[in-house]
Amino acid sequence: MNVRAGNPKESVTTLCRMCDTRCGVHIHKKDGIIVDITPREAHPVNQGRMCPRGAAAIDLFYHPDRILKPLKKLSDGTFQEISREQALDEIAAKMLAIKKEHGARSVGVWKGEGVGFFQQEEYVRRFIHAFGSPNYFSNDSACYNGRYFGYSLVTGFWNPFPEFSEAGLILLFGTNPPMCHPPFMREFADARQNGAKLVVIDPRLNPIACYADIFAQPYPGTDGALGWGLIRYLIETKNYDSEFVDRYSIGFEKMAHYAKKFTPEYVEEQSGIYAHVVDDIAQLIIKSRPRVSIFPGSGLEHHENGVNNVRTLAALGCLIGSLDISCGLFWPEDLERRKLTLYDELPLLDQKPIGADKFPVLYELRKECHTMTAMDYMLGKGEYPLKGLIVTAANPAVTHPNTRKVEEALGNLELLVVNDFFLTPTAKLAHYVLPAATFLERSELHYNFKHHMVFLTEKVMGIPGVHGEYMLWHDLAHRLGFGEKYFPWPNEDEVNRWILEPTGIRLEDLRRHSGGYRYKPIRHKKYLTQPLPTPSGKVEFVSPYLKKLGLAEIPHYIPPYHLRHKRKEFPFVLTTGARKSLFYHSRHQNIQRFRTVHPTAEVEIHPQDAAALGIKDNEVIRVVSEMGSLEIPAKIVNAAELRQGVIEIYHGWEEWRVNFVTHDDINDPISGFPLLKGVPVRIEKI
Amino acid sequence: MKVIFVEPDRCLACRNCERVCSFQEAGGFKRENSNIWVQVDLAKRTIFTMTCLQCETAICLEVCPTKALYRDTETHAVVVNEAACVGCRMCVAACPFGNMHFEKSRGVAAKCNLCHGDPECVKNCMAKALHYCDINELAMIKRKRMDRKLAGHAVSHDRDLRI
Repeated sequence: MNVRAGNPKESVTTLCRMCDTRCGVHIHKKDGIIVDITPREAHPVNQGRMCPRGAAAIDLFYHPDRILKPLKKLSDGTFQEISREQALDEIAAKMLAIKKEHGARSVGVWKGEGVGFFQQEEYVRRFIHAFGSPNYFSNDSACYNGRYFGYSLVTGFWNPFPEFSEAGLILLFGTNPPMCHPPFMREFADARQNGAKLVVIDPRLNPIACYADIFAQPYPGTDGALGWGLIRYLIETKNYDSEFVDRYSIGFEKMAHYAKKFTPEYVEEQSGIYAHVVDDIAQLIIKSRPRVSIFPGSGLEHHENGVNNVRTLAALGCLIGSLDISCGLFWPEDLERRKLTLYDELPLLDQKPIGADKFPVLYELRKECHTMTAMDYMLGKGEYPLKGLIVTAANPAVTHPNTRKVEEALGNLELLVVNDFFLTPTAKLAHYVLPAATFLERSELHYNFKHHMVFLTEKVMGIPGVHGEYMLWHDLAHRLGFGEKYFPWPNEDEVNRWILEPTGIRLEDLRRHSGGYRYKPIRHKKYLTQPLPTPSGKVEFVSPYLKKLGLAEIPHYIPPYHLRHKRKEFPFVLTTGARKSLFYHSRHQNIQRFRTVHPTAEVEIHPQDAAALGIKDNEVIRVVSEMGSLEIPAKIVNAAELRQGVIEIYHGWEEWRVNFVTHDDINDPISGFPLLKGVPVRIEKI
Repeated sequence: MKVIFVEPDRCLACRNCERVCSFQEAGGFKRENSNIWVQVDLAKRTIFTMTCLQCETAICLEVCPTKALYRDTETHAVVVNEAACVGCRMCVAACPFGNMHFEKSRGVAAKCNLCHGDPECVKNCMAKALHYCDINELAMIKRKRMDRKLAGHAVSHDRDLRI
C-alpha cells in the first residue's frame, strides 16, 4: 500500500474510533508509518489507559484487504477497478435517472456504525434531503434508538453516560461494559472502592457478574417485570421522592395503580428472578437513593416491548429522585452549534418517509426511516418503489434481521452503492463499491455531552485516492446539481468552521486544546428552574403523546413473545448479540489477533440441554426458527452461564449469520425494533 | 523497585491484560502465551488476577542451571536470556505462584519482563486495577482510600442526623 503521512508531526493526538467510546490516544509515526498507539494521559474518558481494540487501529488502517480503488460490478458478477471520477459520474447519472422516473424519494441512504455518528451522520442526512428524498436509514434502527426513546419519552433526553463513580448503587441491565464500554470499568471500580454496590441483571453470566454484589439471570425480555416490581416496592413502602413526584412529574397515580400487580412473586413467575432477590435489590435502592446509576444495555431493546421496558427503568430513576444529578439521569446541555441537517429548510414530510406511518415515534423523535419496512419498498411491496440505495459503512446483509429477505431486497435494487473499508457481504451485492476512509483519515468535530466538551480531530494519515465521507457527499452533490447550495465548503476545515461559527469557538482554540474544550460548566437539577424537554415540561410517567398515537400510555409490561407463544416445535429461546468479543458488531473479524481469541462463531448451550440432546462441544448443530436456519458449532458453557432452555449466538459473524433466524416481522410498536433477543428456536443434530 | 501489582477489588476480568501480554510474547491474543493470568470461576463468581512479583529472592533465578535468568540492571525485573535458556523448565517448576510458563513456540521459559519498563498490561487496564510502581505506593493508595471511605461514612452519618 502506498501510504503517505497526512501530517508531518511524528506523534499526533486524536480520538480512537474503533468503537464509539472515543478515548484519547496518541498516534506515533516513524517515517510516515504508524508504529504505535498509546493512551492519552489527561483525557477525561480513558485517563491514560486504552484497550486492545484501540491498538488494532493499525491493523485496520494497513489491512491488506482494504478497498483502495472504486469497483464496478460487471455483467458476469465480477468487480472491475474504475477511476473515482467514472464511479461518481455513473452513480450520479443513475441517481438522476431514478429520480426522473420514480421521484427522488426512490433513492435512499443508509449510514452504518463504521464511519461514526455526529458529523458523519449529519453529512448523510443533509445529502439525501438536498437530493429531495426523506429516506435516511441507519444502524440506529436496530440499536440505540430503543433506549433513546425509553428515556426521552419519560425525561425528554437520554444521556447514556452517568458518572458511575459517584453512585452508591449501580444497576446494570443487559449490558457487558468491560467489552462494550471499557472506560466504565474504572468508574465501577472507583464506586465500589468507595462502598457502592453493583447489581447485574443479564440472561448471560458475563465475568462482570463475578464483580457484582447481586447477579440475577432473567429470562430474555422480562426486565420490565423486574423494573415494575421495584417501582411497586418503593411506592408501597413510601420510599420514593414524593416532593419531586408532586412537583415535577405527571401520571404518578396511574403508575402506582398499574404497579400493584407486580408483587415479588409475580416478578419471579415472569422473569425467573427469585422474589427475595427483588426485595434485596429494592432495599439496596432505598439505602442509596438518589445516588443510583441505572444503565440499560442494548439487551433490552431487541424485544417487542423493549422501549417500555426501558421506560420503566427511566421512570424508576425519576421516582427515586436521581434526575439530573451526576450519577443519575444527568441532563446534558448541548453546544449551540450549527447542524448540517436540513429538517427545517427541507422537511419533505409530504414525500412520505418510509416507515413514518407505521412507526411515527421513530420518525418524529429521530428522523429515521424504518429499515425493515424499506426491504418491502425495495421488493416493490411498498407505497412507492425504493430503487437506489447508497450504503456507507453499514453491513445490513449481516446485521439486519431476516438475512434472506435482506439479500433479496438489496439484490432487487437498480442502484446499490456501498462505501466501505472491505468487501463485506453487503458490498458484494453492490453495483459500485467505493473505498471508505478510516477515522484516521478525516477531520471532524466530536462532542462529549457528559463532560460538556468539544474536540477537534484532524487527519492523521492519508492514502492517495481514498477520500473521507465529506468529499464523497460533496463530490456527488456537485454532480447532482446541489453542491454549490448545500455542500459549498471545499474541505473539512471549512465545514468545521461553519458548524462552530455561532459558538464563538474557533478551530484554532480547539487545536490548542487537543484534550478537549469545555463549552459550558456542568449544572445539576436544572429542572428546578427550567422545564424538561418533554411535551408537558415534566417527567412523564405516562405519555399523553404516545396515547394520542394509539400506543401504550403507561410503560406497560407484556411478557415476551417466547413466553406468550410457547410451542413444542420451538422449545429453546435464542438470545443474540451478547457483547463477549473484541469484534464491534460486524466489524474487526478480519483483525488476525482478535481471531486468535474468537476463531469461529458458536452457539452457547447449557450443559444439561446439550447432554439431553446428545450434543458434544464443537459439534456443528442446526438452529432453526420460524424464519430460517443456521449451522453452527456448539459450545457447552458453564452451568451458571446461561439458564437451561436459553441459547446464545453472537450477531456479527459474516460466515455464521445469526440473522437468518431472527425476526424482522415482530417489532416493538414504538421503536420498530426487530425481535433479536428472544427468538423461539429448536436445535437439530446434523 | 517498581513492580506490577494488582488491586484485586478493581479487576472486572475483561482480560485485556492477558491479550496485550500474549501479543508481546507471541504475536496473537492466545491466553496460554500470557505472563499475566486472570482466573475467573463462573460457578463461584470469583476473579483473581496475578502476574510475576519480581521476588527479591527469586527462586526461578536461583534454580536456573545456565544462568539464563538474570536481573535487569535498569528495571530490576527478572528476565530470561533466551539464547542461554536450554528449556529445562526448572524455573517453571520452582515458581511457587505459577507466574512462569514454558513458551512452546520458542522452546524457552517465559515470564514478565515489565516490558522493559513500560508494561503493556498496565497501559491497557482500563479499570486501573493494575499499577506499575513501588509496592509502598500500593500501601499509600490503600491508606488514602480507607480515609475516603471512612470520611464517606462520617458524611452520611451527619446527613442522617440532619433528617
